[in-house]
Amino acid sequence: MNTIDVDLCNPESFVAAVPHAAFQRLRREAPVFWHPEKNGPGFWAVTKYQDVVAVSKDPRTFSSAKKGVFVFDPVPDDLERMQLMMLNMDPPRHTKLRALVNRGFTPRMVAQLETRLRAITNDIIDKVAAQGACDFVAQIAAELPLQAIAELLGIPLDDRYMVFNWSNRLIGFDDPEYQGSWEDGKMAAMEMYGYANQLAEQRRAQPGDDLVSVLMNAEVEGERLSELEFDLFFLLLAVAGNETTRNLISGGMLALIEHPDQRARLLATPSLMPTAVEEMLRWVSPVIEFRRTATRDTTLHGQPIRDGDKVIIYYISANRDEDVFPQPDRFDVGRTPNEHVAFGIGEHFCLGSNLARLEIRVMFEELLRRLPDIELAGPVDRLRSSLINGIKRMPVRFTPERTRQVVGG
Amino acid sequence: MKIKIDYDLCEGNAVCMKVCPEVFVVGDDDRARLLDKNPSEDLRAKVEAAVRRCPRQALSIE
Repeated sequence: MNTIDVDLCNPESFVAAVPHAAFQRLRREAPVFWHPEKNGPGFWAVTKYQDVVAVSKDPRTFSSAKKGVFVFDPVPDDLERMQLMMLNMDPPRHTKLRALVNRGFTPRMVAQLETRLRAITNDIIDKVAAQGACDFVAQIAAELPLQAIAELLGIPLDDRYMVFNWSNRLIGFDDPEYQGSWEDGKMAAMEMYGYANQLAEQRRAQPGDDLVSVLMNAEVEGERLSELEFDLFFLLLAVAGNETTRNLISGGMLALIEHPDQRARLLATPSLMPTAVEEMLRWVSPVIEFRRTATRDTTLHGQPIRDGDKVIIYYISANRDEDVFPQPDRFDVGRTPNEHVAFGIGEHFCLGSNLARLEIRVMFEELLRRLPDIELAGPVDRLRSSLINGIKRMPVRFTPERTRQVVGG
Repeated sequence: MKIKIDYDLCEGNAVCMKVCPEVFVVGDDDRARLLDKNPSEDLRAKVEAAVRRCPRQALSIE
């Protein structure tokens, strides 16, 4: 196989829908495929589950730090700054920094948030329940992750829309609605740094039990985090805890709408919720891909790869791999086993996975209970991005809730 | 079957506990612990899945 009909680095290819047929063909015919690039050297597109796992678990051969984790090749100045962020680091420094924030995200810490998150979720639904219609993305899906991360970072609740705006502009660099240019993304980052520094100053004077206070007082190898390191940490937590969960909730809702039999099954058997959450994760795969860079000559799936080659691992394709998931294009809320890689695997396994799972479960438990008949009321507007499988707008309607329900924790 | 947990790597993601609750538990110290220090062979497939799925590669079968 020498050519494909879909350009996987063109964000336009993901606007109408995820090009699953192209991924299927790649898995079958060229699992490690040399993909040409208009404005770059080209890359290996890795689409099979086992290969995505193998690359993820071998950071010494497939580096996140060497050129960062995004498709484009950063200029040296940008690269240096990017490398201060955990996402673009390799062990051992990555491991040490990660240990700092990890304690905020353990299952025990996250479980303590459930009551609070359920109350937040019901407040969100309260605001739209009587209307019978809303934009599912802005009014439901975006709100919970924003408020959850605001809670964790100790951001005043009213400031969450600034975080929403910055993260849209940072992630949406391929979507003209959010950003005309790469430059505006940098502007958004600068604005966020300014905000983070103010917050840091406040917490230095008055420490709390939030993550910002933890980070302010953290030491790595005997040194405090620099201002820029702290800023990037803040940016990563604010963006990563925000976009991905929002898009999972929107995409999960869309999957339930498009598979009425599966929604009926879940309504009839609420105990299926844990497997339903995993299936939504597999189905949506909010992060389409990340990049690695080979640090030596090696082979992957029999394909020689040279030192310095760009390697893109497609989680979204791995999660539809027919060798791992029987009938992968079937949305099955009871799917077991379901060893999807929506959170990645290896060193960079999503730090917030426990929090994300909790947010998703609580949101769908409450949505199915209170607004069980949500349906589309207009066209779904997808994000123009080859990195994030996102939805920008999803008009929905539902039977308005008659009485405001009192909700138990 | 003897299982080893590398505590330099374990960060309490609790994937093992989800995959094989018969053998693994993540306690209040946010670390994985073995409920069964010497699990029987019929649990091997589940233990192997836990080892494979550990995001930090902190588990191994000795």
